[in-house]
Amino acid sequence: MKTPKLILLVLAGSALALTGCTTVNSVENAQKEGQRNMIADQRAITDASLNRKVSIVGVNTAMTPGGLLKVQVELENRTRSRQAFLYHFEWFDANGMQVNNILSANIPEQIEGKESKFIYCIAPNQNCRDFRVKFIEAD
Amino acid sequence: MVAAVPAFFAGCATDAHYVQTGDKEQVVSLGQINIQDYANAANAAVKELLESGALDKVANPPALLEISRIINNTSQQVDTDLLTKKISIALLQSGKAQTKITDSKATGYQQESQFMNDQKTTRMPDFTLSGKIIETVDRAGSTRRTTYSFQLSLNDPKQGVQVWEGEKEIGKQGTRSSVGF
Repeated sequence: MKTPKLILLVLAGSALALTGCTTVNSVENAQKEGQRNMIADQRAITDASLNRKVSIVGVNTAMTPGGLLKVQVELENRTRSRQAFLYHFEWFDANGMQVNNILSANIPEQIEGKESKFIYCIAPNQNCRDFRVKFIEAD
Repeated sequence: MVAAVPAFFAGCATDAHYVQTGDKEQVVSLGQINIQDYANAANAAVKELLESGALDKVANPPALLEISRIINNTSQQVDTDLLTKKISIALLQSGKAQTKITDSKATGYQQESQFMNDQKTTRMPDFTLSGKIIETVDRAGSTRRTTYSFQLSLNDPKQGVQVWEGEKEIGKQGTRSSVGF
């Protein structure tokens, strides 16, 4: 009598565990037309837990038609479950001084299991030369 | 044991403290637009607008922008300046646009100056920014999903065309409002 109960419990547990996992399948063109200008990045990882779950694949930059620096960061969710995090961009001028930006608030973002996702930002003005992106894990 | 009891209860209470807009402790309201929602909508709009290069296509840069009407189609009273002010500040900081004065005193001085200098024309804005905020509510049992759509258009009054349009949807789902993202 105990065995069927145990099996039911295990099945219920497995079902619960599986509902939390949603992974993403994707397809893309193999012969790429566009060329990404990948840049060397410098990382400071203080939250190893977040880094294990959502990792930075690469960073590339481009200029907008109006001469503003555009930065794109590719992220990958290494886990099989949805992850939520906050990010924000900081910008610096040619002297390394931080540029005041009204829109520097944290942006909430979600990424599905095993998904690869891009986030991007446009420099607040033409004086911006460098940038830093901060990631914070949501509770 | 006696000391542990107050310590336990103190851990449950939340004392008032300063917070940053958009931090991890933000209040997420189901039936209300939160301050971080305006910030996110403004952020998305400015990013798309600057990326499009629409503001660069004027004869005398920076472009002169006039903030027009933002229609509120939600069930709540909204001060649309929470959205438009962030956008106009960001555009001014970018050097790509200047906004037309709305202050009555400044307008009076401008008219006086034009009269004294025998100036008969006022510079027309290159663009106007208009928009709409729409609320959609879906329910399934006790779960409620509220979506706020922030729609914005950059209009060229000289050509009579919309040169840029953007939309940011912010969705929230749950059974009650909560703290945290």
